Amino acid sequence: MDSDLDDVRAAAVREHLAACIACAKVCEELAAIIDLCKSEAPNSPLPPNPQALWCRIHNIIESEIKPEPQPLPKIEERRRLWRFSMPQLASAFLLIALVSSLVTVFAIRSYTQRSADDYLSRTSESQTIFERFMAKVGLIDTPQKARQKRIAAQMAAIDYWDRRVSERRRQWDRRMREAFDKNIDVINESVNDYTQILQQNPEDEITGEMLDSALEDKEQLLRDFSEL
Amino acid sequence: MHFVSESVFGLRGRGKTTILLLMSVVFFVLSAGDAAAQGQKRYSRSYPAGQTVRLELYNRNGFVTVEGWNRAEVNITATLEAPAAVVFPQSLSGKIVINMLKDNAGRGDVGNVNFYVRVPYYTAVDIETLVGNLNISNIRSSMVRARVSSEGDITLTNIVASGVLAENTMGNILFDGELMENGSYRIASMKGDISIRIPIPSSFKLVATAPSTRSINLGAFNGGSMHPLGDGRRIIGQAGDGSASLQITNQRGAIQFLPR
Repeated sequence: MDSDLDDVRAAAVREHLAACIACAKVCEELAAIIDLCKSEAPNSPLPPNPQALWCRIHNIIESEIKPEPQPLPKIEERRRLWRFSMPQLASAFLLIALVSSLVTVFAIRSYTQRSADDYLSRTSESQTIFERFMAKVGLIDTPQKARQKRIAAQMAAIDYWDRRVSERRRQWDRRMREAFDKNIDVINESVNDYTQILQQNPEDEITGEMLDSALEDKEQLLRDFSEL
Repeated sequence: MHFVSESVFGLRGRGKTTILLLMSVVFFVLSAGDAAAQGQKRYSRSYPAGQTVRLELYNRNGFVTVEGWNRAEVNITATLEAPAAVVFPQSLSGKIVINMLKDNAGRGDVGNVNFYVRVPYYTAVDIETLVGNLNISNIRSSMVRARVSSEGDITLTNIVASGVLAENTMGNILFDGELMENGSYRIASMKGDISIRIPIPSSFKLVATAPSTRSINLGAFNGGSMHPLGDGRRIIGQAGDGSASLQITNQRGAIQFLPR
């Protein structure tokens, strides 16, 4: 039907079709279909060539992927900027760790070294920059606030031990009572002096320290005698 | 005359003898009576000492004297006035503890107890008392701590220790000894005089504070590296390479340095 067979085979087929009714029928049906196709689709495209078709599809896809060819290199350049090798990354991490460690050590040292001295007795002038920053942020108290808190705590402790002493001092002998009274008077005298000086000059570093020390002495004296 | 003189001599001789005998009896009775009246008791005990010894003594009232000696033995002698306190030393793995406060807790009226303790010179000494003088001498060890809660003088003589703490409320304090490298020395009094007797040259960082009297006499250590602060209430500075730390506070008294 398509004239694809050679003469010998075409003759053989024809002989068979003449003898075989079933095959002749199939041949007729096929011929009818082919005729129909030829007559009804004169403008239809040619049967597609798969290779050509794939080539066209590929071209279309590529043309859609690269609509603007110029910006692409810029993106790639940017990407390259953020691409580091492993040694580079390791070095970067080490550098960050080193810098942050140094900053932390410096901060802690400057904080603890000063606070190892008596922080309570210091003035705002003698604060380190780090301490001032911390006080501004509200993470630590200013020296004055810290001192007030400390004195309040000491006074509370002194009141407690004073009550204990008052309960027990009746049992002491006369010499003990005299010794205790004499010494507590001396400490009270100092506490009063320092309190007055601090009222006039709250920034007086040495007096702040001495007041703290005198109150500690008073608490200790009361505590020692309360055990009698 | 001869008879008279003999008889007189004889009478006088017998009388003298009688008087002497009577006086002796009276003296003996009075002495015994006095001792009984005072009710003094004596306590003494010794402990063998090892390579490391630490003495902790907490007294109520009375003198305490601690002396270092060249024997591996701790000898404690106590004189107890009436009403006599209980003395109950405890020795445990190189540490001897006498706690008169704990052992006599709840007893309001307890007589003075005066201690005389001899320890190996390398003993770490920690003495505390409520009332009374403390004397510690001839110690060369890691630590000497002497604290009087109220009134009492503290005398530390011939002390070579890397840590020394002496504190009282009323009374004088004398430190006589050497400052060790990297040693820490803290001496504080509320009212009294503080004297520091150390060799020249000595090496230390100093913070000396006498806020009321402003009397700080550095003697031979007064030099360029010492600076007054707070209108002379405090002196800070360094002598030598400043290897030891010396902190002296006398709230209502004077501070003075003496050459040793």
